[in-house]
Amino acid sequence: MVALLFAVPVMAQVPAPAPKQSKPVLLKGATLHVGNGQVVENAAVGFENGKITYAGPQSGANLSGYEVVDVTGQHIYPGLIQPNAALGLNEVESVRATIDWREVGELNPNVRSIIAYNTDSDIIPTVRANGVLMTQLTPIGGTISGTSSVVQLDAWNWEDAIVKADEGMHLNWPNMLIETGNSRGNERLKRMQEEREKTMLELEKLFRDAAVYKAGKHDSKNLKLTSMTGLFDGSQKLYIHANYGKEIIEGVNFAKKHGVKNVVVVGARDAVAVADFLKANNIPVIYSGVHVLPSRAEEDVDMPYKTPYLLHKAGILFALDYDLAIHGIRNLPFIAGTAAAYGLDKEQALASVTLNTAKILGIEKQLGSVEVGKDATLVVSSGDLLDMRTNNVTYAYIQGRHIDLNNKQKYLYEKFENKYKHQQQPAPAGATSSAGK
Amino acid sequence: MKKIFTIAACLALSAGSVMAQETFPRNGVYDERAGLVAFTNATVHTDYKTTIPNATLVIRDGKVEAVGENVKVPAGAVVMDAKGKHIYPGLVDMFSDYGLPEVKAERRSWTAPPQLESTKEGVYNWNEAIRPETDAVALFNVNGKQAGELRKLGFGSVLAVHRDGIARGTATLVTLAEKRGNEVVLKDKAAGALSFDKGSSKQDYPSSLMGAVALLRQTYLDAQWNAQNPQKEQNISLTAFAQANKYPQIFEASNKLNILRADKVGDEFGKQYIMKGAGDEYQMLPQIKATNAPIILSLDFPEAYNVEDPFDARRVSVKDLKHWEMAPANAALLQQAGVTIAFSAYDLKDKKDFLPNLRKAVKYGLSEEEALKALTATPAKLLNAENLVGSLNKGMVANFLITSDNLFSEDGVILENWVQGEQYKIADVPADYRGVYTLKLGNDTGRKLLVAGTAEKPELKVIAQDTVKGNISFNGNLVTISFAESKDSKQSIRLSGWVAGKNLQGEGQLPNASSVKWTAAYSEAMTEKEKKDRAKQAEENAAFGSTIYPFQAFGQQELPKQETVLIKNATVWTNEEEGRLENADVLIKNGKIAKVGKNLSESGARVIDGTGKHVTPGIIDEHSHIALDAVNEGTQAVTAEVRMADVVDPEDINIYRQLAGGVTTSQLLHGSANPIGGQSAIVKLRWGKSADEMLVKDADGYIKFALGENVKQSNWGSAQTVRFPQSRMGVEQVYVDAFTRAKEYEKAWKNYNSLSKRQKAKTAAPRRDLELDALVEILNDERFITCHSYVQSEINMLMNVADEMGFKVNTFTHILEGYKVADKMKEHGVGGSTFSDWWAYKMEVKDAIPHNAGIMNQMGIVTAINSDDAEMARRLNQEAAKSVKYTGMSEEDALKMVTLNPAKLLHLDDRMGSIKAGKDADVVLWNDHPLSIYAKPLKTFVDGIAYYDLERDEQMRETQEKERMRLVQKMLHEKDGGAKTQAPRTQKARVLHCEDVAQQEEELYFAY
Repeated sequence: MVALLFAVPVMAQVPAPAPKQSKPVLLKGATLHVGNGQVVENAAVGFENGKITYAGPQSGANLSGYEVVDVTGQHIYPGLIQPNAALGLNEVESVRATIDWREVGELNPNVRSIIAYNTDSDIIPTVRANGVLMTQLTPIGGTISGTSSVVQLDAWNWEDAIVKADEGMHLNWPNMLIETGNSRGNERLKRMQEEREKTMLELEKLFRDAAVYKAGKHDSKNLKLTSMTGLFDGSQKLYIHANYGKEIIEGVNFAKKHGVKNVVVVGARDAVAVADFLKANNIPVIYSGVHVLPSRAEEDVDMPYKTPYLLHKAGILFALDYDLAIHGIRNLPFIAGTAAAYGLDKEQALASVTLNTAKILGIEKQLGSVEVGKDATLVVSSGDLLDMRTNNVTYAYIQGRHIDLNNKQKYLYEKFENKYKHQQQPAPAGATSSAGK
Repeated sequence: MKKIFTIAACLALSAGSVMAQETFPRNGVYDERAGLVAFTNATVHTDYKTTIPNATLVIRDGKVEAVGENVKVPAGAVVMDAKGKHIYPGLVDMFSDYGLPEVKAERRSWTAPPQLESTKEGVYNWNEAIRPETDAVALFNVNGKQAGELRKLGFGSVLAVHRDGIARGTATLVTLAEKRGNEVVLKDKAAGALSFDKGSSKQDYPSSLMGAVALLRQTYLDAQWNAQNPQKEQNISLTAFAQANKYPQIFEASNKLNILRADKVGDEFGKQYIMKGAGDEYQMLPQIKATNAPIILSLDFPEAYNVEDPFDARRVSVKDLKHWEMAPANAALLQQAGVTIAFSAYDLKDKKDFLPNLRKAVKYGLSEEEALKALTATPAKLLNAENLVGSLNKGMVANFLITSDNLFSEDGVILENWVQGEQYKIADVPADYRGVYTLKLGNDTGRKLLVAGTAEKPELKVIAQDTVKGNISFNGNLVTISFAESKDSKQSIRLSGWVAGKNLQGEGQLPNASSVKWTAAYSEAMTEKEKKDRAKQAEENAAFGSTIYPFQAFGQQELPKQETVLIKNATVWTNEEEGRLENADVLIKNGKIAKVGKNLSESGARVIDGTGKHVTPGIIDEHSHIALDAVNEGTQAVTAEVRMADVVDPEDINIYRQLAGGVTTSQLLHGSANPIGGQSAIVKLRWGKSADEMLVKDADGYIKFALGENVKQSNWGSAQTVRFPQSRMGVEQVYVDAFTRAKEYEKAWKNYNSLSKRQKAKTAAPRRDLELDALVEILNDERFITCHSYVQSEINMLMNVADEMGFKVNTFTHILEGYKVADKMKEHGVGGSTFSDWWAYKMEVKDAIPHNAGIMNQMGIVTAINSDDAEMARRLNQEAAKSVKYTGMSEEDALKMVTLNPAKLLHLDDRMGSIKAGKDADVVLWNDHPLSIYAKPLKTFVDGIAYYDLERDEQMRETQEKERMRLVQKMLHEKDGGAKTQAPRTQKARVLHCEDVAQQEEELYFAY
């Protein structure tokens, strides 16, 4: 099987999606990290027709009928979920032709990210290879950027990829503005303040009109208002992107006032400062900044690293998102690792990229942990998945399908390794003195 | 009999003491008068240290004729009795834009095409920012409004500087008399003026601070060359530059660091600049003092910030809070350290703050004598104008002030300001009504009025059962009073009346609308206690906290010291043949690693238990842009003349943050906006030391080259299609051309230097070109290249050009396709410094792979992992660990990629990069395996000094928060007392990358 994984197809750089699970599989001998905080040593996980049929001690597993895969000494985790991302909506960040995450205009509640999802992106297989198996496709920009969908990362097309379509709407809370004591800029600031007031008014009208739209009878359909009805009956979430503490409070209060049922705060760099408010209002958080710099010089040097721990201590439901660059989403396990290095328990850190995320995205009944009845979307790593020193994904399954972990980068690696293998073996590094001298 | 005028009575006197208007035709009859005036019985301060009580001052024709105790009043003199008054020399402001046209700095927008050449008409310098041909005296016009404003502050003469450009030409010393310009100019060319600000120039170069520094340097050289070779090039600017150099040079620096930078340039060309400072000099007192530069100080003290909202107040940094408290002490701290100081009113947003702020500086420790000196003798001396202004001796210009009292006391009021013998009235002697009065309000005698404050601005307290504050104001001999009935009452009693002898009386209205007659009988002068209380309050306000180094968050009063440290029983990653040692000890002594081994002991050493911990060499970042005030010049394809060492910012908080990530040494690189960028600065992260002290001594010189999309401006928008090169084809030609020129230049110098002395005298020396100097250094293995690079074609190209032109590329940085050409790199002998796993962010990185470092390392190329990012640099150890994951590299090799290998690439491996006796004690103690995500530094040593210590860090957080709270409380208190306030400044984390050229202004205003 290992040989099969590493057989490099010469032409194809994005591997073919794995076929449907055809026979029951049982992974045995590993340490199971359930995703809900529990750890089972010497565990076995069985799954059939894409669903988990057993997850527990190996001693309690009934092996009959299963194809047994021995993963003794390894670790089993739920597949990681990256929320708030444009993976598959953009291939090369600097090339406009490849950007499909931004629509023109400020208020685009009717715009749907799912239809632009490119399952043939070269980046996606590299992300899977580190254990990230799902993402929330999120449009960016404007005040309301559109709706997001949750997809799994091994599909022929966007329809195949859907885990949950159009599950939430993204509202970028207008930036609060401040004077800076710099009189030179006051004209610009004034204009920006006027623009903000205008945007706030537009938002107010949109939500007011959308709330009553469903009840009325309409001769012509309004796409924007129609697209927002789910916010008021709870079938769709409102993701408010805000970082400044007061923006978070302002945004959440706005949503509550308009009767929005499910609100999630995204970004939330100041979440710790408004933890009481978030807790009192039962607002979950997608925190976007672990591997970032503190926002002020005085802030504790490790503030972004320990924020997950502080949110956990405050009793807030939170998930982590890697938001620095699309290609870096494969480092999602390591931001969870950093959170663990700075106070969070390792299993809680795992939950912040699996079960917590599933809960926040509303897919926890189907995904997010390795429990019976859920989708067999899971990862096996020979070592601790959250530490780059040991992260080494050996198997990954999405809905029970054994996915190909190959990618363009591995292909290029092999190609050039082979080139040099045929050349003379060089001296090892370090044997020479200073380069260039 | 002589007619005696009192000062107040001689308003009409206007001495037309004019002799200098000779060449001008006159309309009407000649009306020239001698302007002979004698001031008697005055306390005359003839200079800052000499006071003559009861003296007479005689002026004639706008000059001082005599001054002294027993001076005879000449016949025909207008005599003015100045009894009880003080006379001071008129103040001198040696930095002003008085009478000069406004300078408008308009920057080209980023959507407009670049302007590569000067558009100025005439045979001037190639660069518009070099305008030494400007003589302020040629632009000068008397401006009555400005002059009046400055005279009110006490100034009699100012140096008018045309604040435009880097070389600004000459400044002119003028009086503030409202006469024809020809008469008020005291010295047509009194000083030369310089700055790092390109002013109104729209030309692209220089776009950065280091470009401005380089341009100034080159201009000195060009002016010398032009003077020696007059036949080569007609250039008005260069001739003028040489001329302007003969005067005292005033350099306008926008902050303390620029003072240090400017002083270095001055030193290179034998010039001691006079610095126009910004008010933050005390923050780097030892270095500022070492420049020996006289400093013209700003009196613009920051206003208190709005800190009522605790959430928003977080935006005010400790640095700003402390500066608010300490800025008034700047003058005293500098003067006491022996720095020559002068004051300028130039920076004041509200000029009326001048005297109050000057007095504040005195309250904060500057002696009155020194304060006066800084406004008289010092500027006069610095401008070689001691025989004209700054004191009141015979023959000097009759510029002087008449004040009601000591100028520095709160009661001192400038009554008159005489300029060139012309009288300008400023204020009347304020009548002093201060004292205690018994108020009789109708039949009610239950209140006393306490009138305190200053004579100019009296303050009222009404003492009855409650003491309430009231308002009192005098207008001539009329008085208006109002105060609340009682402490809790909102009802006010309002009185109007007049001064009757020492008493006050009049009519008023009570809150019940009834009229009432009142008298206030004077009973005693303002009590001594009242005066003392005022002084005490001022003194309390004048207390301030300690300076911290650096003047930034996580700065300290005392820098950590070098220690003898013995780390026992740790896992030691030596990076030497012995590899990783378990249960080993490391001894650090005198800044070096003294011993590595087992069971070491050292008396007097601080012993640290390393059980379960790891010791590694400090992390070295080959590619960093922290601690810099600018990154890209980039306006020309070749800017080898710019030096990052000129713009090191030792107060960047990212220095401390990276120490907390185990980084000890960084190469601070120029950006990647052009094929040949600027010269690197290699620094150790010595937090709290100056920029110069951070530089690694005797390190080899490096320079940044760059290839690919940034260089050809691919992602810069459609307007940026002018500057050559715009394709990889052009990039090659830039290199070939640059090195061809460099070779010819080197040859020309060799030829010249081989001449005999006699021949040299007859032969023109080649022009010194700082850009080509740097390239010649590369050709001679005296400067080494770090080249930003991505795709294989361009990497190959540069190695080919190098072979052809006869130089070596030392390091390819980024080198994301290094894995494709590793064999060729090996052959060229070049190292690679790369990212662990970045890709897909632009076209040229679509083939980047995380196995790149592994392949290069396997091929025997000296391979490093770098950051190019202030955040990632905090976790470089983890970035190195990714190569273990992706390519199975050994853990020791992986660690070497962020320690020993970058040391090799920087030619510093003889002193850094491994744990070996004799090497620098740049050492990190980790709590866990250093390649693990769970590892964090407990201590980071540089030169055996624990610049970062996790435990100390936790204490500092607490101390810092307390200091913050103290300052916030003080600020709130002063605000309650009526102090002005301003909105908090944003303190955005500023992170510079290779490609950064401009900042979006909008973002300044985002709350987050």
